[in-house]
Amino acid sequence: MHAAVVLRLVPDIADDLEISESGNDIDREWVGMKLNEFDDHALEEAVLLKERAGASVTAVALDGDGVDKLLQSAIARGADRVVKITYDELPPLPAAAAVAAILADAIQALGADVVLTGVQTPEDAGGQLAAALGARLGWPHLSAVAGVQPAPDGLIVRQEHSGGYATRVHAAGPVVLGVQSASQPPRYVSGSKLRQAIGVKPEKRAGGEAFAGPVAMVRRLAKPASGGGAAMWKGDADAVADQFVALLRERGLLKG
Amino acid sequence: MATILVYVETRGGAVQPIAFELLAAARSLAAPAGWTVEALVCAADPAAPAVEITAADCVLTMAHPALSPYLPEAHAAALQAVVDERQPDVVLFGYTTAGLDLAPATAGRTGRTLAAYCRTLALDGGALTASAQVYGGKLIAGIEAPLPAVACVMPGAFAEDAGRIAGSPERIVLPAPATLGALKTRVLEELFPEAGGVDLTQASRILCVGRGIGEAAKIAGAAEVAELLGAELAGSRPVIDAGWMPKARQVGKSGTKVRPKLYVAVGVSGAPEHLEGMAKSDLIVAINSDARAPIFGAAHFGAAIDLFDLLPALADRLRAG
Amino acid sequence: MPMPSPLAVLALIAVAVLVAGYRARVLIAAIARAPAAHRWDQPWQRLGFVAREVGLHRRLLQIRLSGSFHLMIFCGFVVLFSAIVADFGAGLFPGFSLHAIGGDTWIALLQDVFALVLLAAIGLAIWHRFVIRPARFAGSRTTDATLIYLFVIAIVLSMLTEAASGIAAGNVAGGWRPVSGALAAALTGAGLGADGAAALHAGATWVHMLAILGFLAYIPGSKHRHMFTAIPNIFFRPLTPRGVLPAPPEARGQVGISKIEQFTWKDVLDTASCTECGRCQAACPAFAAGQPLSPKKLIMDLRDRIMADAADSAGPLLGGTISEQTLWACITCGACMTVCPLHIEHVPKIVDMRRQLVEEARVGPGLQDAFANMQRTGNSMGKPARQRARWTKDVGFKVKDARKEPVDILWFVGDYASFDPRAQRITIAFAKLLHAAGVDFGILSDAEQNSGNDIRRAGEEGLFQTLARSNMDALSECTFQRIVTTDPHSLNALRQEYPALGGAHAPVLHHTDLLLELIEAGALKLKPGSGATVTYHDPCYLGRYNGGFGAPRALIERAGYRLHEMPRNRENSFCCGAGGGRIWGDDTGVTERPSENRIKEALALGDATLFVVACPKDMVMYTAAIEALDVRGKLAVRDIVDLLELAEA
Repeated sequence: MHAAVVLRLVPDIADDLEISESGNDIDREWVGMKLNEFDDHALEEAVLLKERAGASVTAVALDGDGVDKLLQSAIARGADRVVKITYDELPPLPAAAAVAAILADAIQALGADVVLTGVQTPEDAGGQLAAALGARLGWPHLSAVAGVQPAPDGLIVRQEHSGGYATRVHAAGPVVLGVQSASQPPRYVSGSKLRQAIGVKPEKRAGGEAFAGPVAMVRRLAKPASGGGAAMWKGDADAVADQFVALLRERGLLKG
Repeated sequence: MATILVYVETRGGAVQPIAFELLAAARSLAAPAGWTVEALVCAADPAAPAVEITAADCVLTMAHPALSPYLPEAHAAALQAVVDERQPDVVLFGYTTAGLDLAPATAGRTGRTLAAYCRTLALDGGALTASAQVYGGKLIAGIEAPLPAVACVMPGAFAEDAGRIAGSPERIVLPAPATLGALKTRVLEELFPEAGGVDLTQASRILCVGRGIGEAAKIAGAAEVAELLGAELAGSRPVIDAGWMPKARQVGKSGTKVRPKLYVAVGVSGAPEHLEGMAKSDLIVAINSDARAPIFGAAHFGAAIDLFDLLPALADRLRAG
Repeated sequence: MPMPSPLAVLALIAVAVLVAGYRARVLIAAIARAPAAHRWDQPWQRLGFVAREVGLHRRLLQIRLSGSFHLMIFCGFVVLFSAIVADFGAGLFPGFSLHAIGGDTWIALLQDVFALVLLAAIGLAIWHRFVIRPARFAGSRTTDATLIYLFVIAIVLSMLTEAASGIAAGNVAGGWRPVSGALAAALTGAGLGADGAAALHAGATWVHMLAILGFLAYIPGSKHRHMFTAIPNIFFRPLTPRGVLPAPPEARGQVGISKIEQFTWKDVLDTASCTECGRCQAACPAFAAGQPLSPKKLIMDLRDRIMADAADSAGPLLGGTISEQTLWACITCGACMTVCPLHIEHVPKIVDMRRQLVEEARVGPGLQDAFANMQRTGNSMGKPARQRARWTKDVGFKVKDARKEPVDILWFVGDYASFDPRAQRITIAFAKLLHAAGVDFGILSDAEQNSGNDIRRAGEEGLFQTLARSNMDALSECTFQRIVTTDPHSLNALRQEYPALGGAHAPVLHHTDLLLELIEAGALKLKPGSGATVTYHDPCYLGRYNGGFGAPRALIERAGYRLHEMPRNRENSFCCGAGGGRIWGDDTGVTERPSENRIKEALALGDATLFVVACPKDMVMYTAAIEALDVRGKLAVRDIVDLLELAEA
C-alpha cells in the first residue's frame, strides 16, 4: 500500500485576519500559517497505516513559503518520503477542482493507491479537496473519515455523519479519504526528532496543467457585521430567552 | 427552462431536515427568475421519503440497493448520471457529510463551478453569487460561480418552513445508472449513537455550568435546560472541584477541550484556562450576572442576567418547542 | 568456652567478607558497568564539603530529633570502631592491644560512655519509628530498620558484657570503665566466680565478633549501606549550578533513559545510598497533593530494579518499574534534593526518563498541546507570536524594541507575563515603574520565545534546544548591558542554562533585584505602605534554584509592610505546583492542589492579609487557589510590584 497525504498550510485563525488591498484575499504578509488541523489527522492516520499494514507514506504539499519545514515535520512524524509540487499560479481561496488538477497527476505518478487529506480547511470556500481529487482521479472518495483500518482486501473506513450516526465502508481499490479525525490523536513529535529532520530536502515535482474549466472566484472578503466579543442581549429573562431561542432556531440548533 | 436541482438527503427512509432548507433556498432563487425546482431522492426505496417533498416542481426518484445506506461512491455516480442527463443550472447540497462528499464530486464530474459554506445565494447574470462563511466564521467571502454551478449551503441559512409548503409536484422515476452495479466500495455496517457515557469531545451541544450556580442542588435546573437543548451537561473547574459533577464533565485546560456546534456557558466567569478549553466552539452563548466577565470576550452572544431567572424562562420556551 | 583462636577469627572474617561481597556483587557490578559521570573535578573542594556535611550533620539536624540521635549513633559507631579494632586485632594477633595509645584509659572511657549513648540513641530511634511514626517513613522497609536496631543492640551489649566479664575475671583493667565496672560489680555480686567470668568473657567476645561480622554481612542488602556509600555519594555530588539540568550525554545515543543500565554510576550510587528516611517525601508537593510520586519510593524502586539484576525479564523501566504518572507528577521544585542528607539527585533522573517518554510521544494531551504550540508559535498558549508585545499598548508610553536600538536593560518578558491577563497586569505595572525610574529598557518583542526552562524539565530536550538557540540568537543581535525578567523560570534559563549552552554571560536580574537597586539608588521614591502584615512565597526558581531570597524581603520592608513568614520559607518553600511542565498537565488524581495547601498555610498565620509573590505563574496559580478555596475576603495575591506605590512627584 502506498499512502499519499496531502498537507496544506492554512492561516492560523486564532490570529487577527486582515483583508488584503485587493479585497479578495487576506493579508498573508503577516498572518501565521499552520498545518491544517484535519490534515494533521490525515497524516496521523497515514502513519498508523504504515505501522499497522506496512504502507509507505509520501507527504505531498503545494510548494510555497514554509513548505520545507512542514514536510520535514512530516518526516519526523513518520512519512517515508516528502514531495512538493510546483505550479504556476492559483487565485486566492482557489477552487478545489483547480487544486486537484495540479495534484492529481503527481499523485498518480507517485503510484499512490490511497490518498488522505483533511476533510476541509478554514479557507476552502471553493470546495473540499478530497472529493474533488476523487473526481479528478476517477477514484471513489469518502469525507468525514474517522479512522481507517487495513483489511485483507482493501481498507475499512469509518465515515461519520451528524448525530453520532456512522457507517463502516469497505474500499477495495484506490480511494481518496477526507479525514476528520484519526484513530488516535495526532502524536507528538519531539523537538529532537524535528531537529534531525531539518536536513531533509523535499523532492520537487511539477504539478499538472492548470485547470481549464470555469471556476468560482472569491470576489471580495468582508468581516461579518458583529465584531469581537459577544453581541449582548438586552431585556429581562423572558426577552433574553426569546432571543436565545430565536438564535437557536436561526442556526438550526433546536433539538429534534 | 432553467432548473435548480436539490439533493435530498435521507437516512433510514426519512428526509433529513436540511433538505427542506435547501428547498427553501431553491425556491427563493427560482421564484424571481421563473426557474423550476427539482428535488432528487436517491435511495434503495425512495418512494416513502419522496412523498415528504412537496415544495418542488418536480420530484425525481432513483431506486437502487447500493443507494442505502448512504455510500458516497454510489450517490456520486447517481448524481453524475442525473446531472448529465437533466443539465440543471444550479445544484444545491447541504453542509453535511454527504454535502462535503457530493458537492465537489458533482462539480468535478460534471464540469460545474462550486461555492461552499453558502449563507446567502443569488443569481446575477450568468453566475450564482453566494456569501460564504470562511476562516471559522471570522470572514465572509463573496463568491461568484459562473453557471452551471453547484452550491453547498450552511444549515440554518434558510428557514425550512418555506421548504415544506404544500404542493403537488410532478413525480418522475429515473433509471439507475449501470455504474451502480460496479462499485469499488460498499457499506459494511451502520453504527448508531450509543446511549449513556459521557464524551464531551464528541458532544455537538454542551451546556456548561460555572461557579455561579452556587450549589449542587441548583444544577438540576441547568440539567433540565441541557436536556431540552439536547446538550451534554458540563462544568467548569470550581463545579467539578466541589464534587458537584464528575471529572469527565469538566471543560477547560485541566479537563476536556471541546469544540461543539453550540456551547452555552451559564454562570461561568471565563478564566483563561476555561476559555482555552472551549473558545473554538462554533457558537458560544454566555449567561453571567457580571457584565464584565471575561467569558463575554469569547462568546458570540451573551446576556448579563441572573441565570436563575433565565433558566426557567428558557426551559418554558424549549418545552413549548 | 575458649577465646576465639586466630584461625577461627580469620575464617569468620573470611566468611563474613565473602558473604558481604557476594551480597554486594550486583551493586558493585552495576556501578562498574554503568556509563560514566564526571565527578572527579575539584577534589579538595569536594573533600572539604564532605567533612563539613558529615561532621556538622547540617541537613540531618534540620529535623531536630532524628538528626540528634543520628549524630549520637554516628559518634557511637566512630568510637566503637576502636573496640572492633581491639577485638579483631587481639583475635587475629594474640597479644595485640590498644593499650599503648590509651586503650585502657581514655579510649576505654569513651567506649563505655558511647555504649550508653548508642543504646540511648537506638532507644530514641525505636520510639521515634514505632511510637511517633512520622509519615515520611510510610513506604520504608520496617524490617530492615528493626534488624539494624537489633544488630546494634547486640553489638553494644556484647561489648559491655565482654568488658564487664573481663574486669570480673581480672583480664581487663576496670579503672576507666565506669559502666562495665559497675556491670562487673553486679555480676560478681550475683555470684559469678573467676572461671565463670572467664567463660562469659570468651563467650561475649564470640558474640561481639559474630554480631559485628553478621552486621557486616547484612549491610550490603540493607539501607545501612549508607555507612559506606554516604561519604562517596556526598563527595561525588554535582558541583554544577543547581539551575543547570544535565544535558543528555552524547555517549548514550538517545535523548532519554529507557533502560535501567543507562543510569550513570553516580545514579546507581545514589540509589544505593538511600536510607529511606523519607525527608524528600515529606517535602514533596506532588506527594502531598496525592499524586503517585514519592521521591523516596522512586529511588527505592530504581534501587530494587538495579539489585534485582534481572535486566529485561523485569518488564519495562518506563511504565513498569516507574509508572508514567509518577514521572509526570514531578514539578521539579527541587525540594527533595535540597533536604536529602545523602545529596541524592532525584530530579535529573526523573527528567532523563521523561525525555524518553517525550521521544516516544507518551505525553498527556495538555503537555502535548503546550509542546506543539511552542513548536509553532514559541509560546505555550499557542498565541500568535506577534501578539507577544501587545501588552505594551496599555503602558502609556512607547516600549523600545531592543532589536532596533541599543538599550541599557533588556527585559525578557516570558510567556505568562506577556499573555496571561492576570500576569499582564504585573508586567504593565513593572514597565511603569521602570519608566518612572528613568531606566533605558527594551524588549525583544516577537523575537522572544518561551525560555524553555520548563520545557527542558518536562523532558522536551530538543524543543528546549530550539527555543534556547532562537532566544540566544535574538539576544546576540541586540545591544544591552543587563537582562531583567519578572519570571523566575526565564531567569533560571537565561542565567544558568543558556551560558551552559555557550550563550553570552550578561548579568541576569530578577525584577526584585532591579527594583531594590533602583530604590537604593534613589531612582524610585515610594509612598509609605499601609503597614499591613503580609506573607511571602519564595518561587522555586528564584529562591531554591537561584538564591534570590533577600531582594523580595527587602522590598516588602521598604514598601512599608510587615512580613510574617510562613513556616515553609526560603529553601524550604513549598512549590505552587506549576513547575516542570505541570502547569500544562491536567490535575486528575490530585487530592489537594499544592497551591491550595500553600494558601491554607498562609491563612493559618492568622494575620497576613496579602499573599505576596514574585513570579507570574504564582500570580496565576494562587489567584485560582484563593478562588477555589473561596477565601477572597481573607487573603489576596499581590506581586511585589503591586506593593510599590510611587510617591507623588
